[in-house]
Amino acid sequence: MTQEIQRVSPYFSDPAPANALIDDAGGHFRVHARAYTDQAIFDLEQKQVFSRIWVYMGHESEFGKAGDFKTTHIGLQPVIVSRGEDGQIHVMLNRCVHRGAAVCRELRGNTPHFICPYHAWKYSVDGRLQAISGENDPSGYSASFDKPEGLRKVPRVDHYRGFYFASLNPDVVPLADYLGPTARQLIDRKLAQAPEGKITVQGRPFVAVYKGNWKFQSENIIDGYHFMYTHRSFVQLQAKYGDTTGDFGVHKGGSAAEMSKNRNLGNVTGGVHGHGINQKPVVGYDDFFTGAFAGHFSALRDRYGDEELRWVLGMGAGCIFPTFGLIHNQIRVWRPIGPALTEVTIYPYSLNGAPEEFNQGMLRSHERFYGPAGYGAVDDVEVFALNQQGLSASDDAWLIMERGMEKEKRLDSGEIEGLPSSETVHRAFWRQWRRLMNSN
Amino acid sequence: MNDPARTISRTEAEELLYREARLLDTMQLREWLGLYAPDGLYWIPIDETQPAKRTASLVYDDTPSREERVYHLEQLPFPAQNPRSRTVHMVSNIEVLGLDEDGSTRVASSQVIYETRTGDYTQIGLGEISTIVASVEYRLVRLQGVIKIKLKKILLINREMPQGNMTFIV
Repeated sequence: MTQEIQRVSPYFSDPAPANALIDDAGGHFRVHARAYTDQAIFDLEQKQVFSRIWVYMGHESEFGKAGDFKTTHIGLQPVIVSRGEDGQIHVMLNRCVHRGAAVCRELRGNTPHFICPYHAWKYSVDGRLQAISGENDPSGYSASFDKPEGLRKVPRVDHYRGFYFASLNPDVVPLADYLGPTARQLIDRKLAQAPEGKITVQGRPFVAVYKGNWKFQSENIIDGYHFMYTHRSFVQLQAKYGDTTGDFGVHKGGSAAEMSKNRNLGNVTGGVHGHGINQKPVVGYDDFFTGAFAGHFSALRDRYGDEELRWVLGMGAGCIFPTFGLIHNQIRVWRPIGPALTEVTIYPYSLNGAPEEFNQGMLRSHERFYGPAGYGAVDDVEVFALNQQGLSASDDAWLIMERGMEKEKRLDSGEIEGLPSSETVHRAFWRQWRRLMNSN
Repeated sequence: MNDPARTISRTEAEELLYREARLLDTMQLREWLGLYAPDGLYWIPIDETQPAKRTASLVYDDTPSREERVYHLEQLPFPAQNPRSRTVHMVSNIEVLGLDEDGSTRVASSQVIYETRTGDYTQIGLGEISTIVASVEYRLVRLQGVIKIKLKKILLINREMPQGNMTFIV
């Protein structure tokens, strides 16, 4: 195995076999730079990864009524997601079946139908072909015309508690099985923060495009190791300003030492389908029941009990393989554009039934850390570009992902639990990536 | 409404806006803080049609938050400003639109900000000049004889689109 790996050169133009890009022999877990830089690998990912599994499409609150739609992507495939007159969520390719023009040019909105701007073929909001202009003209279609039913439907659409996913693979595993117990637990705990058990996507998202591979974001959102270093300046801001400038009690600890201690609580879990989940019980639990929102938190305590509520209110972050993330009060989606180009969209949400002032406080905290002029996410994006930059030094081809290998354990579910700043979740991601890239 | 003591002329507004541009381009950020009224707001919305409290803005800085922003830029090294940005603010189309209900003077302007990172220009993310284009609206007030900014509202023409590194002051 090791010999075979060493023969792989970053200068080869042929696709590298995925097996050769991960070295997990002899206590190693290392990933080859070509997994992030190679156009042939990127192309293969479209077929082997994005076309075969569940990809996040949107949240139910974005489609409150019939006719609500948004545009998004499954890998490189542009799609429309809409709520039809039937009340169901539909996902279809944003491409007229006639001669291929995009039928929708808006990010989001409400419409009774989509009309292709080229020859005015008309589709219902759920994608059915309603009318062909001049269908019966003398120069129109013959009696034997094989008339399409409508926009190409994405064959599988399902949701877990309002989070909608779609798959281009008709035989994909059921969504609940795909998520697995720990990803479902994270979603359940995020929703448990809301008195009504539901969330609403709030306002407009932050969008960034970075010059790096999409997998850097997948790795980073559940990377417990980088926080104290990449976000060192944020830690220092917290030590100086605390809650006076909008953190809203999200990041606990008045000093770098205290924050570092808190970061080492909890655990990470690598799922069998490549998800990574990072959870910590909350610090300063008793303070929730004396502050401005004591009534709100006391009601949650009555419902969930102290033990579970510590986890509900604690830090929870997840990467649902490959490109869907939960952290803070936000939904994060990223999409591949090229081997070294990725778009990240961060949607804040509010908790249904929580006090208005609480939701507004969380929104200010979101603004302060995650915006393009904020004190956190913009540094991550900068690091993704310097990751890609560094990998051009291709004579040193391997990235090391071996933190905490000795201290992880396999759960009955098949998931692997590791320590908070270990790379257990990264290894789970890459094992699933290799499985998909190698499968037929 | 026509109290001449409170009216701010176009020349006075121009002087303030040009001064602000120079302070930002020369990184005299403490002096920039001094241009604002105590209740001043530095705001870059994404969706200006919604109340700022209920939607995320790119920047929504009151006085404590502006001070934090300047402290962050001046005192703490962080990846997105290492190496540093260098900027030039171009300010034009300055027009006094009239008095607001609260007595502040509404001033319109068009601004183009060119920004680049210093450092090794051969590297990804460096070596490019980015352009920010915006309609910038001000509310100006005269406090003890000195004109101060009560509001700087920056409407980027691409505010719904992906934004790059905006960790310098726009």
